[in-house]
Parts: sequence; structure tokens; C-alpha cells
Amino acid sequence: MRVTENMRYSSVASNLAELSSRQATAAQQAQTGLRVNLPSDDPIAAAQLARLSASQAQVSTRRGTISAVRGDTELAESSLQQASDLMANAKELAVQGGNGSLGASERASLALQVKNIHDEMVGVANTKGSSGYLFAGSQTQTQPFADDGTFSGDDESHVVDIGNSTPTAVNASGAKAFTAAGGRDVLGDLDALYTALNSNDTVGITATLTNLDTSRSQITNAQAAAGIIINRLDASDAVLSSVQLQNAKSTDEDGSADPATAYTNLTQLNNSLQQSVSVSKTILDLAAFKQF
Amino acid sequence: MAGLTSLLNVARDALTAQSYGLAVTGSNISNASTPGYVRRVALLQTQALGTQTGGSVVASGLQRVTDDFVERREYAATGLSSAATTRDQTTASVESLFNDSAGTGLGTSLSNLFSSFSGLANNPTDGTTRTNVLAAADAFTQSVNATGTALDQAKQDLTTQAQQTIDQINQRAQEIAKLDMQIAQATMQGNDAADLKDQRTQKLLNISGLINTTTFTDGNGDQVVQVAGTTIVDGTHAGKLSLDLNGDGSLKLNAVQSGGGTTEITQYLTGGTLGGIKEARDTDLFDVSKKLDQFVFDTATAINTQHAAGVGADGGTGRNLFDVGSTADGAARNIKVSADVFNQPDRIAAAANVFSVPGGSDNAVAMAKLADVFTNTGSTRTAAEAYGDLVGSVGTTRANSQRDVETQGAILQQVQSMHQSESGVSLDEEMVALTKYQNAYQAASKVLNVADTLLGDLMTDVGR
Repeated sequence: MRVTENMRYSSVASNLAELSSRQATAAQQAQTGLRVNLPSDDPIAAAQLARLSASQAQVSTRRGTISAVRGDTELAESSLQQASDLMANAKELAVQGGNGSLGASERASLALQVKNIHDEMVGVANTKGSSGYLFAGSQTQTQPFADDGTFSGDDESHVVDIGNSTPTAVNASGAKAFTAAGGRDVLGDLDALYTALNSNDTVGITATLTNLDTSRSQITNAQAAAGIIINRLDASDAVLSSVQLQNAKSTDEDGSADPATAYTNLTQLNNSLQQSVSVSKTILDLAAFKQF
Repeated sequence: MAGLTSLLNVARDALTAQSYGLAVTGSNISNASTPGYVRRVALLQTQALGTQTGGSVVASGLQRVTDDFVERREYAATGLSSAATTRDQTTASVESLFNDSAGTGLGTSLSNLFSSFSGLANNPTDGTTRTNVLAAADAFTQSVNATGTALDQAKQDLTTQAQQTIDQINQRAQEIAKLDMQIAQATMQGNDAADLKDQRTQKLLNISGLINTTTFTDGNGDQVVQVAGTTIVDGTHAGKLSLDLNGDGSLKLNAVQSGGGTTEITQYLTGGTLGGIKEARDTDLFDVSKKLDQFVFDTATAINTQHAAGVGADGGTGRNLFDVGSTADGAARNIKVSADVFNQPDRIAAAANVFSVPGGSDNAVAMAKLADVFTNTGSTRTAAEAYGDLVGSVGTTRANSQRDVETQGAILQQVQSMHQSESGVSLDEEMVALTKYQNAYQAASKVLNVADTLLGDLMTDVGR
């Protein structure tokens, strides 16, 4: 084959350009630590990375949701514990009041204590969390329990998205815990006890005992439900955290360059480039006219 | 038999012929790196003197060492290579619009949008979460608008570029026709016209980079140049191309007929910058715009439907979150936050019914959960999956066009190398030729010297 000057120059130029471009790619991979710097570097991996990144964003949003709502649910649970303790106190007072040896004035003083419990109960039922009244259903901006026990809330659930197939309700139902919707009207029962004690009505006092028990177990049930919600939040968080790990691992596998390989490649190409430059110099020096 | 006087003539002819050889060699050396220069060889032959042996030499002209077949292959390879390069420029810029690893994609704003729905569900009565939804919706429309507009701009730029390319093709065609005329005139006057022919080849290479080009010689010996299957130069006559747009906005390439009418030749356009523009604009860009529009339309429509089903903090319902139109066409460019809710956070529909206002979050959760629902691509993919598919297809297109650039570039290089091997100047060869002609010239001088001496001797002796 006849080799001419232009062939020599253009082959030197194109070989150097090819090597430089490969060296630049290797340098980029080594520098960024990423194997997929552009979708075209590996279209399938790029598509997968886009999906993984969406999934990762969703998982971290859901974990954020769990930690955001967990506080309120815990507060609801401990409030219900408090309510349940108040009911226990009320029952003790009722038992005391039922004692035949007590006089009217002593019962009246017990009635005062029950009144206090009632007021405390209203306070507990009106507990406010980070997003409003905890036991108001959806009416979180309005105080749900008036002093006379009127309930202005509702039994709507506060649902959030934590990745379960059905939306997860994270609020404790005030309606079910405190009002007739759950079986007994708790504040009403306390009222009844107060009235019976105040009017020195022994039969009436004894009659409240069963109702007070039912009211208390109604609150305890609601407390247990709140506990279950917290357990569920924790369980979901554990699942999400492992999904997050798995996603991170897949992202790494799909998109990251192995540092050792990347560095080896780079070193190799650096050397090739250097050699190629010196070989090119020799080739370009080769010309008959220089010998004349 | 010739005498001493004719030996003088022989020496004179030899000096002329060898210096012609030197001149040709010099021209080769000086043009060793001139683009399009085809090496010349001086043609020397013996001077016939009737039936006698003259012994004299004459330079009968020069030969351009070229091969039509290789030249045609170079035109074809140039066309395909420049088509691939042009296309790759567009696919590269499209790819950069969807490069989530560099933070330019839509993935983040899509995730943020769904995340804002979750935030709304966590605390529907907090005004901030509502404002966040509006902000995320706005950011989503902004980034989608930017991408859609960039794609549209790329399309318009390619239209301009196509028009400029066609102007260049028409210009080159005229130049080639003019060169053909000059070559014909020069040839008639007995000149070799080698430089003009070099220029013509160069122009042909140029035009073949703009559009797929073939050449042949017709029955009359005229050089015919065809682009996209249409004769644009026939002998000394140049034709014209013109550009038009089809109803669907795609490019339409026409050959202008001598009567002024046009014939569409778009389907024969396969190479050159214009071929690359056509493919990048009407296939690649069209495809990605369509997919982006569909992605935006599907996602926004699903969110709209869910949002309209819910109830805002003001008790109102049936409002869309996005204004996206009724078809996917142009959705990416035109989508915006609906005027129903714009700047009115209270109207974000977190609750599922009017009774659960303001604390109800069922609808907010339903919107957040749309991220897991097959809302896109004919209800077969989630929004994030559909976006991933879009990124994948953009990447595949770019990877293909890159591969094309490499393949066509390698083919072109090979053909160029064949061409250079045939027609290029080798300085080594020229050095040998230079020495050859130099020695021959010196020898011819010696012949002249000998003839002169002999004639001188003769005259001196006779005159004594």
C-alpha cells in the first residue's frame, strides 16, 4: 500500500483523539465515582436509576411521615393512659361513696373530687398535638369537648401514606374513647357519679360502678388501639428502612464505578496516551527529505 | 542519422522536459497538505520525428492520479458520517435535558410533588403544607415547561439549520456548474485544468457532507451530480432545492423544477447534514417530545382527577390542580398550575368529603398514593416508571447516534485513507522524483556541453 503524508498525519491525529477521548471518560469515571454520567452511558441502568431515585424519594418521604406523626400518636396513647387512670380514681371514689357509713357532707366532698376528675378529663380529651386537637377526628382546629361534655368533633380518621396498601389511620378516635359512639359517654358517667354523690344517692352511686368500668375499658381499648398504631408505624419504618438500604445498594450497583477498576483504567490509559504521543513523534520525524 | 545540431535540439528538449518534471514535483511538494489536492505525474514521451529516430523527449502534459470509484465512495461516506454527527449533536443536547445524575431531569420535581402530597396528609390544617403543595406543583410545571420549550427550541433551530443547509447546497451546485463550464473551456483550449478539477472534487466533497450525493458521467460526457436522487448539476446547468413544512410540522424537501413547480424528494434524503437534521428533528425530537407530552399529560390528568374528587379547606370541590388541556399534544410546554387553585392554598383538596374538613387527609393520601398507581402509558406504568422509561429511551437514542458517529467516522476514515493512498502526495516519492529529474537535467546539460564542445572543435579545426 502506498502511504502518503496525509495518511500518516491523519492516522496519528485520529489515534490520539480516540485515546484522549477514552482517557477523558476514564478520568470522569474515576473523578465522579459514577459509571453512568449520562443516560447514554448505559440507558438501561439510567432508566433503572431514575426509578430507584423516585422510589428512594418516596421511601424517605414515608419515613419522614412516620417520624412526623409518631409523636402525636404517642401523645394520644399517653393521654389515654392518663384518662384511664382518672377513671380508676373515679371508680375508687364511687366505691368509697357507696359505703353506707358515709354521711352526706362526706359524699359532697367526694363529689367535689369527682368534679375535679371530670374537669381533668375534659382537659385530657382536649389535648393538642402538633396538628391540632388529638381527639377531635377531622375537626382538629376546634376544641372537641365542651365543659358540659358536648362533643363537637367527629369520628373521621387521620390517614397518612406510609407505604401500606390501604391508607393508615394514625389518630386515636376521641369519639370512640370518650363519647356514646364508643358505648359509654365518659364525661356523662362522671357527671352521673357527681350528681349521685352530691345528692347523697347511695343506690345511684352503686349504679354508676358498672358504667364507670365500661367507660374505663372503652378508654383502655382506645389506648391499646393507639399502641397498635405505634407498633404498625415502627414495623413500617423497619420495612422502609430495609427498602432504603436495598435501593441504595441497587443504585450503587447500577450507577457507581468500581474505584479500583476506574483507577486502573485511568492509569492504563494515561500510560497508553503517553506512549502513543512518543510513538507519534517518531512517526512524524520519519521523512526521507530530512536525510538528504 | 541525425547530426550534431540535432543533438543540441535533443539536449534542449531534454532540459525542457526534465524541468517540467521538476516543476510538477515542486507543485506536488508544495501542495502536500493542501486539502483536495490530487498528486500529478508528469507525462514524458519520446518525440517522434516521422519515421526517423529522433531520440528527443517531450512533456506531453500531466496526469491527476485519481480513482472515480474511490471518490464516489468518499462522497457517500462523507454524507453518512456528517449525517451521524449532525444527529448526534441534537441527541446529545436532548440527553442533557434528561440527565438526572447532573440534576437536570424531571425526576426530582416529580418526587417532590408526590412528597408534598404526603406532607399535606401529615398535617392538613397546617397552611405551610398546602403552600408546599402549590410550590411543588409550580416547580414541577416550571421544569416540565423548561424541558418542553427546550425541545421545541431545538426543533425550530433545526428548521433554520435545514434552510441554511439547503441554501448552501444550492450555492455549491451553482459553483460546481460554473467550474464544469471553466473546465470544459480549459480542456477545449488544450489545458489540463488539474487545479479546477481539484476544486470541483473539493466542492463535491463539500456538498456530499450536506446531503447524500452521487455522481456519474452521462452519455454526452457531461458530469451529472445527483443529491437525494435528484439531478442538481447536469453539465453546466445547476438545479435548486427548496424547503417546506408538512401539515404535521415535519420537514419537506422539494426539488424545484425548471418550470417553477416542485417535486417532493424527502423520502430519498438519507445523508449529509440535511439527512441528519431530518432524522434528529422529525424522528428523535418528535419521539421524545411526544413521550414527554404523554408523560406529563398522564401524570397531571391522574393528579387532577384525584384532586377534583377531594375537598379544599374552604369546602369547595371539583377543582383541578393543573391546567393541562384535554390532549397530550403540547402538554409539556403548556402545563401550568390551574387558576382554580393558583395562590389559594385553602383550595388544595386534602379531605375526601366536606364533613372531614379541615383535618381530613384521605384525599391527600390518595394523591400521594398515585405514585404507586399505574397512571401512565395506557395504565401500565407508574409516573416514576414512565419517567424512567423516557430517560432510558433518550439514553438509547443517544447511545445509538454515538455509535453511528463512530461507525460512520471509521468508514469515512478508511475511505479517505484509500483516497489518500491513491491520490495523496508522498514526500518520500517526491524526493526520489526530484532527485531523478535533477540528475536527468544535469545529464542533459552535459549532453549540451558535449555537443557544444564538438561543434566548437569542428569550427576551430575547419577554420584554421
